[in-house]
Amino acid sequence: MFSAYTATRACGVKVIMVELKLKMKGQSVAPIEGEMLTPDNLAKKSFNEILNLETWRGNRLVKLSEVFTVEGESTSNPSDLHLIIEGDLRKVRHIGAHMSAGKITINGPVGTFVGFEMSGGTIVVNGDADAFLGMGMSGGMIEVNGNAGDAVGSGYWGTRCGMRGGLIVIKGNAGAELGCWMKDGTIKVGGNADVFAGVRMQGGTIFVAGNVGAKLGAAMTNGKIVVLGNVPSILPSFNIDEIRANTKVDGEKVQGPFYVFYGDITEGGNGKLFISVPKNAHLKYREAYLL
Amino acid sequence: MKVINAVLCPGCGSLCDDNEVYVEDNKIVKVRTDCAISTSKFLNFNKDRNTTPLIRVDGELKPTTLEAAIERVARILVEAEYPLIYGWSLTSCEAQKKGVELAEEVGGVIDNTTTVCHGPSILGVQDFGEPTCSLGEVRARADLIIYWGCNPSSAHTRHMKRYSSLSKGRFRLPEQRKVVVVDVRKTPTARNANLFIQVKPNQDYELMAALKMMLQNEEIEEQEVAGVPVEQIEELAELMRSCEFGVLFFGLGLTMSEGKERNIDGAITLVRELNRWTKFAIMPMRGHYNVTGANKVFTWQTGYPYAVDFSRGYPRYEPGDTTAVDVLSRGYNDATLVVASDPVANLPKDAVKHLCSKPLAVIDPHISLTAFMADVVIPCAFVGIEEGGTAYRMDGVGMILKKVVEPPEGILPDTQILDLILKRVRELKGGR
Repeated sequence: MFSAYTATRACGVKVIMVELKLKMKGQSVAPIEGEMLTPDNLAKKSFNEILNLETWRGNRLVKLSEVFTVEGESTSNPSDLHLIIEGDLRKVRHIGAHMSAGKITINGPVGTFVGFEMSGGTIVVNGDADAFLGMGMSGGMIEVNGNAGDAVGSGYWGTRCGMRGGLIVIKGNAGAELGCWMKDGTIKVGGNADVFAGVRMQGGTIFVAGNVGAKLGAAMTNGKIVVLGNVPSILPSFNIDEIRANTKVDGEKVQGPFYVFYGDITEGGNGKLFISVPKNAHLKYREAYLL
Repeated sequence: MKVINAVLCPGCGSLCDDNEVYVEDNKIVKVRTDCAISTSKFLNFNKDRNTTPLIRVDGELKPTTLEAAIERVARILVEAEYPLIYGWSLTSCEAQKKGVELAEEVGGVIDNTTTVCHGPSILGVQDFGEPTCSLGEVRARADLIIYWGCNPSSAHTRHMKRYSSLSKGRFRLPEQRKVVVVDVRKTPTARNANLFIQVKPNQDYELMAALKMMLQNEEIEEQEVAGVPVEQIEELAELMRSCEFGVLFFGLGLTMSEGKERNIDGAITLVRELNRWTKFAIMPMRGHYNVTGANKVFTWQTGYPYAVDFSRGYPRYEPGDTTAVDVLSRGYNDATLVVASDPVANLPKDAVKHLCSKPLAVIDPHISLTAFMADVVIPCAFVGIEEGGTAYRMDGVGMILKKVVEPPEGILPDTQILDLILKRVRELKGGR
């Protein structure tokens, strides 16, 4: 039953993390609310209390034990709790919402709103994550060892404020509107990103190792987007600034050379696009505007 | 023969209210209007009409009684863990209000057809507001009309004559107005425009960005944007800047092409920029005659214009997750009630596949494609012709629909059918 492993906290102190394992029972048609699945919520609760916790499956309140089999034990300190959730979680939404400490590992594909407005801790997804990953997050880290859906690191509709801090790492591809309204923090994508990456971005950094779709950085007012792959076109509201040999993402050097564009001028923006020179020969005509 | 004048046409979002309908023996024999859609609607609304409640038995739709059909619908909704209640754009605000009540009672998701037409417009407006006006103001004052990604000549046939380019307004005559059409192809509307700009598909945002750059006197590092030469964009920017009252009408060419709500963001900020120079307004060209009403009723009742999730007992709004297409394509719902809409004919394939695989109930005057796939079909009166009510025009002006003929015997309006379902649902839930 009991299992634990050693983790190192940022301050270098070694702590033993207590594991609590939840395995999805069968498959549900109606969506399941997973917002109570956070170390903050499950810590300080006895095993029985956890089994009897209530959550929403569609419009029915069900016990956690009806949806998941639970193994392991809890601990009094949320920072020491490692939640492992397994199964086909595509219909479980809001996992890790408002979490502030500890760790969640999700083994399998997961639904929408993972890490919604989280402020600390770590979420690792070993599978694909659906849309709105890390919406409104202000701290902590999300790592996806698969693809992510649309609007990663965006904000709740109408708030005009996306991700405010923290780190999102996606090993695969990301959907459209990556980092929409993003204010601070870092998003790193190992694969490609779809259209409108960094739209309305107000700060922070987006790094894409692969290709991006059109309208990169549309209406951005601040922040930095680095693209190592192909960019189909640059919006007319961005002008070329210079060609740089290399740049930095989160203190790490990234080898260029890069075309540097600034904009979005129509929004009085001061955002910067770093676009790989060798992968974007079709942008060479813009060099004529460098004096 | 009875002549009824000032009849509202339940055809499109323009909601023209000057139609004359001639009725003889409870039958419409003639309509005086200059719109083909309206004439066809009034004269042919009885085509493919269904007048008996149907219920699926052994894979076949068989006639049944109204009570049995209502019982089945109520049971489907009460037993479901996540029912979807969808449609609402072709009925009155009174029915929409009942729909919201039903959704709250059964703890389901309620969505209207906005989700597949101007949903992105709403998301754009929620971010930036909507500098808009009424169609009356357009008629009286506008001297520059821009149709972007829409084709009123075919879809809103009287829009130009009644409200915009060809209308004789108080301060403007048709010859004093200029018309610009921005579209991916030369539509019938574009053929009669003063300026037609052919934009490459999915590049409207680029064109709007270029226009904003010119309005801000910034230099563009391009010879051509979205397939349009810079000189032509300059001409359009000058036209926009120098008009006295401009209005930008946009359609699904903007909302459903690449970028969706971001295109509307682009359009609204363009209009915002133009208001530094002159008076400019923006307005979506709503399609279904009361889709604006659906947004108004939903907002007034729940606080959100569409995609409202009542599963937890209170309204929640997460477009992209609680919108009908997303609910269906993610396979969230386990039952569906469709009112005054035909999703099987319109939604994406995956969504339709899921829709048909779960219990499906339909309230519709006609045997639509969705009704063919349904488990229960309840016929209702045709709102706007056989039943009165309230509807909202595309500019948000509330108007009264008239009843011009009686519905077939035994056919109730959808408000009454929804009332009966609600009553039965409450009875069934009372037992829990």
